Amino acid sequence: MFFKPTSQPPDVRRRRLPRVPHTRVFSWLCTFLVGLFLLSLVALFGWQSLPVWRDVGPAYVTGTLWFYRQHTFGTLPMIYGSVVVSVVALVLAVPVGVGAAICTAEILPPRLRLAVKIAVELLAGIPSVVYGLLGILFLRDWVYRLLSPWDPLSGDTLLTAGILVGVMILPTVLTLTDDALRGVPALQRQAARGLGLTCSETVCSVVLPQAWPGIVAAVLLALGRSLGEMIAVFLVVGRQDNQWPAHLLSPQPLMQSGQTLASKLGGSETNIAYGDPLHWAAILGLGLLLLFLVGTITAMSFRFLRQDRHA
Amino acid sequence: MRKVFDLGFKWVTGLCALLACGVLALMVGAILFRGLPAVSWHFLTEQIRLVGADGGIFYNLVGTLILITTALIVSAPLAVGVALLQGIYLRSAAGRRRLLLLLYLLNGVPSLLFGLFGFIVFVKFLGWGKSWLTGGILLGLMILPTVTVALIERISSLPRRYLEAAAGLGLTTEQVIWSVILPQSVGGLITGALLGLARAAGETAPILFTATIFAGATVPAGIRESPVLSLPYHIFVLAQDSFDPAVGTKVWGTAVVLLGLVGGLSLIALPLRLRIHEEANHG
Repeated sequence: MFFKPTSQPPDVRRRRLPRVPHTRVFSWLCTFLVGLFLLSLVALFGWQSLPVWRDVGPAYVTGTLWFYRQHTFGTLPMIYGSVVVSVVALVLAVPVGVGAAICTAEILPPRLRLAVKIAVELLAGIPSVVYGLLGILFLRDWVYRLLSPWDPLSGDTLLTAGILVGVMILPTVLTLTDDALRGVPALQRQAARGLGLTCSETVCSVVLPQAWPGIVAAVLLALGRSLGEMIAVFLVVGRQDNQWPAHLLSPQPLMQSGQTLASKLGGSETNIAYGDPLHWAAILGLGLLLLFLVGTITAMSFRFLRQDRHA
Repeated sequence: MRKVFDLGFKWVTGLCALLACGVLALMVGAILFRGLPAVSWHFLTEQIRLVGADGGIFYNLVGTLILITTALIVSAPLAVGVALLQGIYLRSAAGRRRLLLLLYLLNGVPSLLFGLFGFIVFVKFLGWGKSWLTGGILLGLMILPTVTVALIERISSLPRRYLEAAAGLGLTTEQVIWSVILPQSVGGLITGALLGLARAAGETAPILFTATIFAGATVPAGIRESPVLSLPYHIFVLAQDSFDPAVGTKVWGTAVVLLGLVGGLSLIALPLRLRIHEEANHG
């Protein structure tokens, strides 16, 4: 291109034509792809589980028996298992997490605070399969010994899974609560202290009421994570089907093996089920239930988190 | 009385913090105590033998590295695209809110469901069988919110005067993005990617049905029917029958290696992350 043909002058106008905004198109395309993925995820689970909603109907979520050879699909014991594990996990993790977050956000000097936050970040980074391994080799025995007065069959219980998940969601609760507490302006704290309130009174009457939406969001996110946790629960829950308790509120099921939605999905039955349309639909129905539960909880927590930011 | 209550309050919350740190110390201590004796040069460079009771985890390490590299390649461009839309192109608060909700929802999807999605779409529908590429794509999508949010935080904390100076030079939006915004916020992308990869390296559920097997795979040569070995799945399988003491030592050793990989990735990201976080909180 060292000379230009003189017969044709360079087309100046062509440069002025609006160019295709590549970056903008790329940006929208990426977002579209992500949205499409999420949508197709829901659609796929809905579509593939259609036969079970048609053939089994409402009994799918109210039935208490699951025998796939007889094509009996009732998911209630698994929903119950998921709920029990999550409740145990929250009961353990929320008080400790919120307490520790109050300590890091309100009491500790900056250096120590940093140290605790780093430790918690590392705790959050431990893979769930390593939690599961620790659960199998330590927690299971401890729970067995703890429950021995009641003569449990094994250490694989809903309680074991709940404790393990409780440790796993502790960092989530702690970090997000810490964020919420630190989002409250320092000026308000100073004003409260200036009025003569003690540190604890400032936290209880000034900081906590304002950080409330953020803390609820933290707990909801932790709940979502505990419902969806598969690997660690799978290893310690015992995976016993059809454990529907005689009395809903008795503590007895805590000491027995159970099954959660996620642990069922992760089991070998998922591989067996693929050939049989109804069985496969029943398995994917579990996924749809899980997706629905976790999706609702995540959306709720998003609302609370946004409220917190606007306040 | 108030003083006593205050002191008690501080003690109780302090104990909670101590408990959280104590649990971490106990867990890491237990893993190191059990696993460190198994870790040696041979452990890292030999392949698996005798169903995990002997030999090393070389190809498991390689497989996990392949998976997370693929995840990085999948998620980084997508993250840049989504973050630019959120940080630059979307002008309305409602639109931005909706996009953020999308990321939250994606982040909330249990990782197991990614695996089942991949099983239906890639393994069965596209007929790939178990493939490293499926695993990489799924892990990439799974860590996308982490990477994107880190990048968005960085973009939104760029000093306004940079953008004003660029606009003053008469640059188009596209030029501003490529010459100012992206070079200045690449740190956010790196931080997010490291955190995401740390998470991806330890995930078992998405690759369980789609990408990984226990033994008999080396470096994949193609896409179809080319699974890899991986560290988390190795632990997952061995953990279920770890009564053989030889297997027990190996599984703890694998846990140490995995923990080292994950901890290393998040430790590199930590200074950057804490700085961004503290800045964001101080306004």
